[in-house]
Amino acid sequence: MRNFIRFISRFFNLILFLVLEIVCAILISRTNTIQGNDLLNSSNAVSGFLYQRQNALVYYFGLSTTNDSLINENIRLREELARTKYSTDIRHDSVTLLAVPSSDSSHKIEYAKYIYRSARVINNSVTQRDNYITINRGANDGIRKDMAVISGTGVVGKVVHTTAHFASILSVLSSLQEVSVHLKDGTTGIARWTVEGHTPNADVMYMVDVPSEIPMKIGDTAWTTTYSFFPPEIMIGTISKVLIVKKTGKRLVFLKPATNFRNMMYVYVVENTFQVEQKALESHNIPIPQSPKGGKRK
Amino acid sequence: MSIQLRNFLRFCLIICVQILLNKVTLRWWSEPAGFPVFIPLLYPLFILLLPFETPVYLLLLIGFGTGLCMDMLMNTGGMQAAATVLVAYLRTNALNALLPRPLDEYPGQSPSVKNLGWVPFLTYSGFLILIHHSLYFTIELWSFTNFFMLLLKIFASAVTSMLFVIVYLLLFTRQISSRT
Repeated sequence: MRNFIRFISRFFNLILFLVLEIVCAILISRTNTIQGNDLLNSSNAVSGFLYQRQNALVYYFGLSTTNDSLINENIRLREELARTKYSTDIRHDSVTLLAVPSSDSSHKIEYAKYIYRSARVINNSVTQRDNYITINRGANDGIRKDMAVISGTGVVGKVVHTTAHFASILSVLSSLQEVSVHLKDGTTGIARWTVEGHTPNADVMYMVDVPSEIPMKIGDTAWTTTYSFFPPEIMIGTISKVLIVKKTGKRLVFLKPATNFRNMMYVYVVENTFQVEQKALESHNIPIPQSPKGGKRK
Repeated sequence: MSIQLRNFLRFCLIICVQILLNKVTLRWWSEPAGFPVFIPLLYPLFILLLPFETPVYLLLLIGFGTGLCMDMLMNTGGMQAAATVLVAYLRTNALNALLPRPLDEYPGQSPSVKNLGWVPFLTYSGFLILIHHSLYFTIELWSFTNFFMLLLKIFASAVTSMLFVIVYLLLFTRQISSRT
């Protein structure tokens, strides 16, 4: 026992060092999952407050750029409004007017109803492997987990954690999240940010294993599909480069994200009012009980 | 000004500067295409400038606290803390190797340009900051598939951090040098 105490006191510093490193390792393993990031992220009170102060100061210097992007968006909305006014089939809901695609004009189906809330970005990163964004709205403003977040130009991410006044968003620039995407000719696929052998960069997202017979040109647009949790027809990005993977003969498509993640100031949090109902319905699909008859027949 | 108060104020200053640096990266720092994005990490400087006579266990705990603080600000969940604890642990060895006399013969002093000299101080801070950045970026990328990119990121970030360290030294060193 004496020897043990002597050992402890002799190597106390080394032991403390190892203990602290193990604590760090535990923290890392906990925080890099979506569920585990509620302790150490910038939506908590102290750093949220700090970043809000800092943002309040810097905000004034970016006003002209913000103004420009707002004007551009207004123009786009006006154009869209004008188009819907003169199209024959209009789907009405309390918030938006959307033209029903001509293919299903025989019967109109409202499969979703969206409520948009604007929010200001107060903390943002593009340099990490999984990037998080903090906004200045939280549970008090009706923001809840798993809502989609878009910007004026394209997709942004998903709400992963909320406090009373702040919410943190897992951006699509992350290894934890993929977006389902469709191209101009209707081909669907999955866009992700991290691909083996390429450094993650805020200017590129990838679509892997695209069959080579699909026609595509550089500059084509990629949109969200109807079965992601994002609202449909939100721009994800434009094709900037197409590579052919020699091993599989399929193509690797480089998308340039439509959102500029580096100087994003405003985002819209989108609430799908039918999402809870849809989730509840779909949760019935998963457990398929094995009937005793089926077991005997074998 | 007591030595604790001075260190506390230095801590606040360095953390504030680091918060601003995190933002600078997003605006224009990382624009050249093909170059990996990086953040200059200045805050290990706080650990480097603690007084000579700080016991190692206290250094480790302060390093852990500082790293955790940065983790909360940068959403990195323990990576900064791991790197900073390593720096705090190696600090004593680095100082022992650079100083002519044992550490307890410098009562009430902190490592600075005045009592170390420019070249030894830059060696000391450069070495420890390089170690900090290597560990941090290795944990962050978590793969060696892009080894060259990792190296580039570490070196670019370390060089930029050292520039900020030099700026700090130029701003906060009293001009009357003891060696002349």
